[in-house]
Amino acid sequence: MAAANMKAVKLRIRSVQNTMQITKAMQLVAASKLRKAKEKADKSKPYFTIMRETLVEIAKGNTDFQSPYTKQVDNDKWLYVVIAGDRGLAGGYNANLFKFMESETKGRDYMVLPIGKKSVEYFRQHGVELFTEEYAEVAKISVSDCFGIAKLICDAYSKRKFGHVLLCYTDFVSMMTQTPRSSSLLPLADFAEEVRNAEEPEKAVRDLILYEPDSETVFNAIVPEYLAGLLYTSINVSVASELAARRTAMEAATDNAGEMIEKLSLYYNRARQASITQEITEIVAGAEGN
Amino acid sequence: MATFRLQVVSMDGLEYDGEVERIKLRTIHGDLAILARHMNYVTAIGMGTATVVFEDGTERKAACIGGMLSMMNNHCRVIPTTWEWGDEIDLERAMEAKKRAEERLQDSNLELVQRVNAEAKLYRALVRIGSAKK
Repeated sequence: MAAANMKAVKLRIRSVQNTMQITKAMQLVAASKLRKAKEKADKSKPYFTIMRETLVEIAKGNTDFQSPYTKQVDNDKWLYVVIAGDRGLAGGYNANLFKFMESETKGRDYMVLPIGKKSVEYFRQHGVELFTEEYAEVAKISVSDCFGIAKLICDAYSKRKFGHVLLCYTDFVSMMTQTPRSSSLLPLADFAEEVRNAEEPEKAVRDLILYEPDSETVFNAIVPEYLAGLLYTSINVSVASELAARRTAMEAATDNAGEMIEKLSLYYNRARQASITQEITEIVAGAEGN
Repeated sequence: MATFRLQVVSMDGLEYDGEVERIKLRTIHGDLAILARHMNYVTAIGMGTATVVFEDGTERKAACIGGMLSMMNNHCRVIPTTWEWGDEIDLERAMEAKKRAEERLQDSNLELVQRVNAEAKLYRALVRIGSAKK
């Protein structure tokens, strides 16, 4: 019986070793990709932050509601642009984002523009209306794709297919922490709303803003640009988050596999020792019997 | 002279953050210079050479295309689609791009989309050449 048990343990050790090899390789791949992605994300972050700051300030000061992009429309349909990963095995990366989405969208009538294969899969499974599935692979999205998406959103927005546009992405806080976040995209009034919820009520007096040549022209020119810019930069940040999450998850998996192998080898050695002892006892007993 | 805070940020990263005396650039509406204490102002950027005058009076040129400019409470944010400092522009490459675009535009059977693309390329090359340090 001991021999059969030992064989099973040996097989188990081998299988854990194989798994460990895979997780180790994935960890290394993620780590090397992460370095590049983090550089890109670091470069993108100031754009994202400053662009948002600017839009919030404009939205706070804006008293002009000529442009359809600025005014709050009574259309309670929401469009969520959800940036998730293409692949699983990244710890809680995708799951956290979708959980966050669920709490965000509670009680809202919404449709989704998924970016990333996992995002497409998830919302298709949950029967959510999809705006377009053209941009399924997050790894392949370029700057010009972002301009394409921005144009698509602008066209549909001016046709009043939805009244609000929001972006859901995963912020790269540090190598160890990544948090899902959302940001308004359209209309501009939503930016001011966001701040009003987060901060103390602002002073009532608004600073007037001069738009040149006029607000409509200005907003028509800048809205597609900032949509594309915010999309592109948040995609960069999300990709870095995904890789960091995968690296951490795979590191943990590798560590666990190592521990498991240690335990199993200990068990295996003990069993081997026991069988040797038993054999000796049997031989000695046999010799004494003579 | 009075200065104000200027932040220039493109998708390639933060290009400049600091006090400046003046920034001059081309908007969709024409050329424009922003000085300190300009009123709150928002406009869209066209295609052209931007000139930044620093606190000590030195100038630096850049090719600045697309995006927006906002001046809010003496804090100016320029968020262009592309921003290349003149001293970092590869003049030879820009010349080549110009030549290629011009050659393409010679072709009279060009489809509209392609023509528009080639024209945009030509303009970008011209702006880069104009902004490059000679």
